[in-house]
Amino acid sequence: MATSITTTKLIAHARASLLCGALLALSLAMPGRSVAADALAKGAADYKPFAVEHIGIALTGAKKLQAAVKAGDLKAAQGAWIESRKGWEAAEPITGEFFPKLDEAIDAWPDAKQGYHAVEAALFSGKLDEIGAPVDKLVGDLAEFDKQLSAPSFKFSPQGLLNGATKLAYEVGENKSKGGESPYAGTSLTDMYENVEGIEAVYKLVFHGALTGRDGKLAGRIVDKIEDLEKLVKVKDLKSVDQPALKKAGEELAVLLQTSAAKLKLKKPAVGE
Amino acid sequence: MSEQRQGALLRKAFAAVGVTAMLSAGLAHATPITTKEGVLPPGTELNEEQLDQPTELFASELAGGKRSYLLDLGDLLFSSPAIFGGAARQAGISCETCHQQGSNNPKLYIPGLSSRPGTFDTSGALFNPKADNGVFDAVTPPSLRGARYLAPYGHDGRFSSLRDFVRNVIVNEFAGRDPSEQVLDALVAYIQEISFLPNPKLTAGGRLSADASDAARRGEALFNKPFRHDAAMSCASCHRPDGAFVDHQVHDVGTGGWFKTPTLINADFNAPYFHDGRYDSYTEVVGYFDRHFDLGLSPHERADLVAYLDAVGDAKKPVTRDTVQAELDELAAFASVLDTAIPAHNQEIIQLTVDAVGNEWRELGENFPERTDTSVTGGVTERLRARGATRELVLSLRLIAMAASAGDYDEAARAYSDYRQRVAAAAPDLKLAEQWSLFNPSIREAHFKALRQLADLAK
Repeated sequence: MATSITTTKLIAHARASLLCGALLALSLAMPGRSVAADALAKGAADYKPFAVEHIGIALTGAKKLQAAVKAGDLKAAQGAWIESRKGWEAAEPITGEFFPKLDEAIDAWPDAKQGYHAVEAALFSGKLDEIGAPVDKLVGDLAEFDKQLSAPSFKFSPQGLLNGATKLAYEVGENKSKGGESPYAGTSLTDMYENVEGIEAVYKLVFHGALTGRDGKLAGRIVDKIEDLEKLVKVKDLKSVDQPALKKAGEELAVLLQTSAAKLKLKKPAVGE
Repeated sequence: MSEQRQGALLRKAFAAVGVTAMLSAGLAHATPITTKEGVLPPGTELNEEQLDQPTELFASELAGGKRSYLLDLGDLLFSSPAIFGGAARQAGISCETCHQQGSNNPKLYIPGLSSRPGTFDTSGALFNPKADNGVFDAVTPPSLRGARYLAPYGHDGRFSSLRDFVRNVIVNEFAGRDPSEQVLDALVAYIQEISFLPNPKLTAGGRLSADASDAARRGEALFNKPFRHDAAMSCASCHRPDGAFVDHQVHDVGTGGWFKTPTLINADFNAPYFHDGRYDSYTEVVGYFDRHFDLGLSPHERADLVAYLDAVGDAKKPVTRDTVQAELDELAAFASVLDTAIPAHNQEIIQLTVDAVGNEWRELGENFPERTDTSVTGGVTERLRARGATRELVLSLRLIAMAASAGDYDEAARAYSDYRQRVAAAAPDLKLAEQWSLFNPSIREAHFKALRQLADLAK
């Protein structure tokens, strides 16, 4: 994965927070709604730059795609689609949860008229001349997403973030052996990797510190499970993914995240909408 | 299968269940794999999307009894990729893939392994490189209806024991680990329970009943008539009407080797015919035997024989519409295995059950289109609630497995009790959403039309 500098910093920050778990435990061990809520609210604020950055990557990639389509450069257009898609997939914990209408347009499936997959199907079969309109719409939808997300008034709720991460943990385990989410581009493995990175960012930036203070063992199990998922998707190609193990690990992570809710004084996250 | 033959079979099936509107629903959903990235090659058609499925009846239920633990366990293992290894396990292929509801799969097609739809080379490199014999010898996965009467097993009759045959499929054909005794016991029990479908045109002794046509009756006489060049032989000498239309022998009938006599009961739904699926219709089959044995049949006689085969091979209700309730019933039967497995601390069966039942819930959930499925309008709240409920049940099951893995069987029992309560609570939501789900033929058509449009765009 080509992780950007900002993301690297954020993830490094999150990983450093693991080392600070003991200190956080001291401050959070005393039951207190406001302490936990404050920690989560701060975590949610810390997470926002990650989401903004990755939606930014998605938008920038889409604009490059738009330019390449206009220039008739198929190779550049395909590369730009992949770049854009990576940004989108890393932001998936929040796309459907916080922006359902835009998610419906941008990630429509099956839909041959709009969204990433309509563009994908035509683009990766070499049909540049058929994707002008859906690419323009994709750029417009992503720009709107970016605008709404970046607005200073927009804040993530910790509950929504836990919901989104839990849902995505479940979905990562869906069987991709027949092609997965991006079958025409052949980038489903990358999608999965970015999804796991997205889950890791949400968990470590928002919840890990607070949970460590309340149930260090559970917090450790969640970290271990995310690492398991990372290993399972860090393989050379989609055929090499151990699908049953991935499904099991995704479900176990979702169960652990659900279990964490009560400790964090949040509602049990639903895996449906 | 030729379109003509396929159409004839479907018309027959639909007439039998009295739902002619199923025709479009039954034909519309071929969704071959398009990606080059997956485990299975592009062009693979697993034919998993049929709303109208082969009817499956169990001998114990027909006799007024009930499903046993072994039957439930065998049934769920039959649908479980976890008993296989290698590419099959990865791709989610199970026994059920080739033997849908214990029947066959006439549309199954895997490039490189199938010579035509409905065939499969069990000794190819994809699923078990160790079994690759370098010979492209695709055969039809047969229907398992009445299997307990149809020994020996395998087209060439290489196994006298069903148990040995099943083990060979798991270990040698699909690279699975050597199955445990309890797994083999259950699979064999399940297969032996799969019954022939009732056929009002056939008596218990294998004779035609009053429901059969005159042409079929004339065909019956021809079927029992000695061949003109060998009075010791007739069709009935191998396909014995009083013995499930088999003789438990292998014969060389000029098709490239020694192959066992297939049953003719319910065979209208077993096309393509012969070990390698070379023929789509009884007309072709009768024509072949007429030539091979120089029977000297007139066109009328050939037509009468076809009418006879058609009558013998018929069934009262060959297909059954899938519904939410049917899925819930099956899932309840599968999950009931845990009633026994958890108190017995049977780790292997708990894990296999959680995986298999979880897969089934995932598949059921996919029938309720998500918000991003723009091909479906209406009932979005109901759809999403139903979809969410199936996901919650997957996680409830996983909790059982996690507790059992940790050796905490009390917690596993509590989680199972919670799972059952959740199923009861979710059932009304699933049924309420059914009208906006893929169980509704028009919704299904809209969804698959959108999938086909995407696939067409990618051509």
